[in-house]
Amino acid sequence: MSEMKPSDVATVEDSSQEKDWAAAKAFFDNLKSNKPIPPKPQFAVSIAVSSRTVFNMVRLEVAAPPPHPPLPTPPVNNFPLESELALMNVNSRLRELYPDSEELFDVILMTNNPAQVGVRLINSINHYDLTIERFCMTGGQSPIGYLEAYMTNLYLSKDSDKVTEAIEAGIAAATMFMPEKEMELSDTQLRVAFDGDAVLFSDESEIIVKKHGLDTFFEHEKRYENQPLAQGPLKCFLEALGKLQRKFYSKNERLNCPIRTFLVTARSAASSGARVLKTLRSWGLEIDEALFLAGAPKGPLLQKIRPHIFFDDQMFHIEGAKDLGTIAAHVPYGIGQKYHKGKLIEQPAKNE
Amino acid sequence: MVSTVQNTDVKQKESDHAVVVAVASRAVFEPEAQGGDNVYAEGVAFPLLQALQKVNERLLEENSAESLLFDIVLITTDSQQQQQSSHLISSTKHYGLEVSRFCFSTEEDFIESLLQNNVQLFLSTDRNEVSQTSQKGVLSALLDEYTTSCPSEQLRVLFCRDAVIRPDTNPTPASRQAAQSFSAQLGKMRQRFGMSDSPLSIALMTSCGGRDSCGGALRTLRSLGISVDEAYCLAGSPRGPILSVLRPHFVLSDCFSGLED
Repeated sequence: MSEMKPSDVATVEDSSQEKDWAAAKAFFDNLKSNKPIPPKPQFAVSIAVSSRTVFNMVRLEVAAPPPHPPLPTPPVNNFPLESELALMNVNSRLRELYPDSEELFDVILMTNNPAQVGVRLINSINHYDLTIERFCMTGGQSPIGYLEAYMTNLYLSKDSDKVTEAIEAGIAAATMFMPEKEMELSDTQLRVAFDGDAVLFSDESEIIVKKHGLDTFFEHEKRYENQPLAQGPLKCFLEALGKLQRKFYSKNERLNCPIRTFLVTARSAASSGARVLKTLRSWGLEIDEALFLAGAPKGPLLQKIRPHIFFDDQMFHIEGAKDLGTIAAHVPYGIGQKYHKGKLIEQPAKNE
Repeated sequence: MVSTVQNTDVKQKESDHAVVVAVASRAVFEPEAQGGDNVYAEGVAFPLLQALQKVNERLLEENSAESLLFDIVLITTDSQQQQQSSHLISSTKHYGLEVSRFCFSTEEDFIESLLQNNVQLFLSTDRNEVSQTSQKGVLSALLDEYTTSCPSEQLRVLFCRDAVIRPDTNPTPASRQAAQSFSAQLGKMRQRFGMSDSPLSIALMTSCGGRDSCGGALRTLRSLGISVDEAYCLAGSPRGPILSVLRPHFVLSDCFSGLED
């Protein structure tokens, strides 16, 4: 085989990618159902969800062998339905404003289940008419490689080990906690709430609180007010949301924007809030509403905001949110993992 | 002129039940590079051969009287390779490869050789060879750059539906038949092992269609007796990144008729 220059190789790959894309586009254009083709992964904001995040998997377990008829399975809570509708509303608005753009949401099902369960999963997706066309049933292989292959912007799963693995691989990820009671959520505006430290930002300031107490923390934050915090695991996802929001702003749709973001932080505005806002500004990121709780519980406030999802690094806040009806997503990152309600968790001695 | 030589180092398989897989010698050994003692260096198909052997080993562990095994044949497909017959035999023995026999043929008669030897799957790194063989109704698959980085402990087979792999040739009815019968045997082999820790893993990928395409493909494979371990529905996403994680030893695409939706 002759030597191929790097640029030759790139062109061959690109042209075969383009052929695949064209074939896929033709397939979707020919569908009677008028489903649009999912966007190209390199431009899309891709959210990978595990099957247990979407469905109550108990009824899908490989109990009845084929050819038993497939059982439709109700989704867990309302997570997929209203969030799915809100996500798809963003997409249809974006397609109206930018018909040629591939910068859209894409939802990929990423599951450990063997493909034997695949047909039933597909039937369930059809039953609820969810807009999921891409999936990976890895049959036990780690999902991380596939998350990277799809350029995933956010990975949601109920398996905290996989979520931790993803975060360590640099992918924004969180472990899902569903509330018992259902909360009414918007089906037209996607509302996403983030904690600040150790979610959007690194845990550098939280370390100071845990090790040296609040007073030292306040002094530190005032002194370093103008120095941006380092980024946290979900900063890139906020950035991806911001990119889509700006597409609405440029078409004068700011008031009507179907994506809204919230910062819900235990910091107080007076003593430590400035650094957070200045950090966001230095990153060129906007957040629609910044709520400083000064240590008050987050649950009641989240009840008022009604986000489709709330990201926090501390289980204490996750439980508080979940208890009052908010879908909470735990980000297993930073020093918060070693503490529970402010006390250091005793770690069992590791066996070498 | 074709000649077939048995490998006396290896126990011959029962011809009625074994699954005959022929691998082009160029894929197994690097013809240009030589180690000492007239032994060839390993080629891209080495992990593949080791994986096939691993499946046989595990099948016999489950049942020492098992006859549904891979029967591996090394075949030369041009006169140049044909002339290196003794080196090919000695290299095979040197590495202890479980090759039952050698078919020494040329460009003109290698396909005949495949048919005579009841070959159910032909593997080569040469696109033309694969294409010609397929046209004549022998199931064949191309070994490519992914093959060399595949694991040697597990055979990974990918069924690919609707990918634009060979745009100029559609599967002939004969090759579709060959594909389906090989696949059915593969499915039976897979059933000999449990869900986890299997030396054989079968994956499905649909490249262009949406989820219903993939669902249909899963059902087609199920009707052939194949339970798939992994499934990937790409709906237009680039195949390259997924394939480099999946790392299949080879890809089969002739099972699916172009007429299915």
